Amino acid sequence: MATRAEVHQKNIQNIFYPESIAIVGTNKVKGTVPFDIVNNILKAEFNGVVFPVSPGERYIAGVKAYKYVTDIPDEVDLAILVFPSSVCHLALEQCGQKGIKSVIVISAGFKEVGGVGVEREKRIKQIAEKYDMSFIGPNCLGVINPDPKVRLNASFARRMPEDGSIGFLSQSGALCTAVLDYAYSRHIGFSKFVSFGNKADISEIDLLYYLRDDPRTKVILLYLEEVSDGKGLLEAAENVIRESGKPILVLKAGRTSKGAAAAASHTGSLAGSDEICDAGFEQAGMIRCDNLEEMFNKAIAFAYQPVPKSNRMAIITNAGGPGVLTTDAAIEGGLELADFSEETTKVLKKSLPKTANIKNPVDVIGDARADRYNVALSAAFKDDNVDSVCVILTPQSMTEIDLIAREVAKVSSHYDKPVFASFMGEADVAEGVDVLQRNRIPHYLLPESMARSLATVYQFKEYLKKKKKEVPALSDVDKEAAEKVLSEAKKEGRNYLPEAEAVKILQAYKLPVLKSKVAKNEEEAAQYAQEIGYPVVMKIMSDDVVHKSDIGGVVLNIENDQEAKDAYNSIMKKVKDHNPDAKIDGILVTQMVTSGEEVILGAKQDPSFKGVVMFGLGGIFVEVFKDVTFKVAPLSEDDAEKMLSEIRGSQILYGVRGQAPRDIAALKDAIVRLSKLVDDFPEIKELDINPMLVQEEGKGCYVADARILI
Amino acid sequence: MERSELAKRVKKVVGKVLDVNPDEVSDDANFIFDLGADSAQSLELVASFEEEFDIEMDEDKALEVQNVEDAINFIGEYVD
Repeated sequence: MATRAEVHQKNIQNIFYPESIAIVGTNKVKGTVPFDIVNNILKAEFNGVVFPVSPGERYIAGVKAYKYVTDIPDEVDLAILVFPSSVCHLALEQCGQKGIKSVIVISAGFKEVGGVGVEREKRIKQIAEKYDMSFIGPNCLGVINPDPKVRLNASFARRMPEDGSIGFLSQSGALCTAVLDYAYSRHIGFSKFVSFGNKADISEIDLLYYLRDDPRTKVILLYLEEVSDGKGLLEAAENVIRESGKPILVLKAGRTSKGAAAAASHTGSLAGSDEICDAGFEQAGMIRCDNLEEMFNKAIAFAYQPVPKSNRMAIITNAGGPGVLTTDAAIEGGLELADFSEETTKVLKKSLPKTANIKNPVDVIGDARADRYNVALSAAFKDDNVDSVCVILTPQSMTEIDLIAREVAKVSSHYDKPVFASFMGEADVAEGVDVLQRNRIPHYLLPESMARSLATVYQFKEYLKKKKKEVPALSDVDKEAAEKVLSEAKKEGRNYLPEAEAVKILQAYKLPVLKSKVAKNEEEAAQYAQEIGYPVVMKIMSDDVVHKSDIGGVVLNIENDQEAKDAYNSIMKKVKDHNPDAKIDGILVTQMVTSGEEVILGAKQDPSFKGVVMFGLGGIFVEVFKDVTFKVAPLSEDDAEKMLSEIRGSQILYGVRGQAPRDIAALKDAIVRLSKLVDDFPEIKELDINPMLVQEEGKGCYVADARILI
Repeated sequence: MERSELAKRVKKVVGKVLDVNPDEVSDDANFIFDLGADSAQSLELVASFEEEFDIEMDEDKALEVQNVEDAINFIGEYVD
């Protein structure tokens, strides 16, 4: 039997490319969603047949209407439900009987309103499953496919966008209309435009896979208000990016906790913690944007221009300052200023005024007209040392803005190198900007945004070059042993696992716990201490003694056999003096590690991303500076390495001011193993290894203290 | 009031408000799905039932009533 995901992939095609559509629950009232959907489909000149379904009407917008969808004599590829939510299940049931497999549920009044809405959503989901149907929504704006083959505006957005190569997926319907307006004024076109609303059936994950295979989509934009299946999303995103080479730009609302609360009340779902989102998106290779402007800045960079061969860029400007700003942003993003060839330098020297700067960034000087830009552009594009060109213009009285824009379009069209432009200002440059936008030359109000967008394209190309991370299998872990400890605690109804049990679990996953043994008499204490190696720590093991140190239940720095025996007897005496009835399990003899850099390793279960690992430097760094980093489990060695390098104090681990570097390999191994542990056991809600002591290179690292919450 | 009498008068009101033939209104007809009622007509239906039977209904609960049979039962509680 096909899975729901497989059913969706089959049915999504008819959502975007139907030959016949039934709009179920429409009416004649202009300015209402049920009417405007029909009207928009007709206005966009849909290449197919339209069947309005309206129980009380003979016709809608001049098209014959049917009482029920089952009354339609022809086959129907796509049904769009606009009935009130209270009767959507009746309409969907009839769609199922009619054999319709693809549906868009526009209607609101489902999960997002709570109570009865939640039940309604469950009900339509069950009906869809019964008939092997798939639906987008409910509570959405609809779907738009500007492909001239179909010209489908199955939405209540005001207009049909231009045809293009950007696939846009949004959880918010209202945002979609704002995006369409923004895109319209900048001639930004779309390949597919989807508002997926409550994603009760078809989710963003299904849509990502569809866009992966959609030949008209070059870049995917995703707006999310909550991540319900974080693990699934990351897996899908990484597959889509790796398999198709298409970038996924993501804008996720709820960066702050207040924002997250607002998102929760808006969509009826809880937002995950933002740091974890950041980490997860980055791991999957998604490009997270802070706002819509940044998202579209980067989207047009990917959609309009070829990918640069490498990072050597040329800047051509008529103003020095903006050239410097561009250079700064470019270098920060990993780009380099190209060294021009001798030929280029010769041409620029010959053709530009003496006052011009013929080195990169090329300054054609404030009074430059189109001819100077032409010379500089042609020379730069021709130069094999140049992989991309950025053009900056500020509008002086003699600047031929419109002509220069045409020169940029004309010259760049002869080369397979990307060109980006920033015509700075607003009113004076408007005409030139329009020329650039119509010619699909990415234009930016600010030159820094231009440089950053180009840098993102380059960084993405580099990301694709790297091999997909391999998560090690770790066949040496003893899952059963860990499971046994956890199930015993669960059986006894305990949520908190003390150090001894936590250590057993960590040991099962071959994390570097300190060597220890339980001694039952003084002879054993000395023998075990010798086996472990001096110095050792000895500690009472008794559930009846809570504050062990306070009553002398812990002795540190034991250096020889005699001291071990003395410590054993002293601890026993003090515990018995303190509590004669205490049940004593023995005395724990543990390896003592006195030096090492303190780090903290932690793990928790996130509601949407599941197992998450945290790493940071211990002590003041974690307490005051919150210098920690997260990643979603399971992790590869590369991921672990990245965690070590991305904290602000990473230099401390790699050796600074004469201090020897720490054992990075051992620490990476510990992180990878911890990530496997939390991935294997979702019941581990929180885990802290604090501190872990990292020794000098080659000498390992040790779990000094650990606790687990289940 | 006899149930048959009640049903006849309910269908008469439905016919008038939704512009359908009362004789063709079946008991299981859904006001929205089968008879094409929009939100304004749903409110009009509630008001017209109150006028027809000289009763005052809980409006929120009345608007939750989906089909003719449920309306007959609901109004019946007030009439009795």
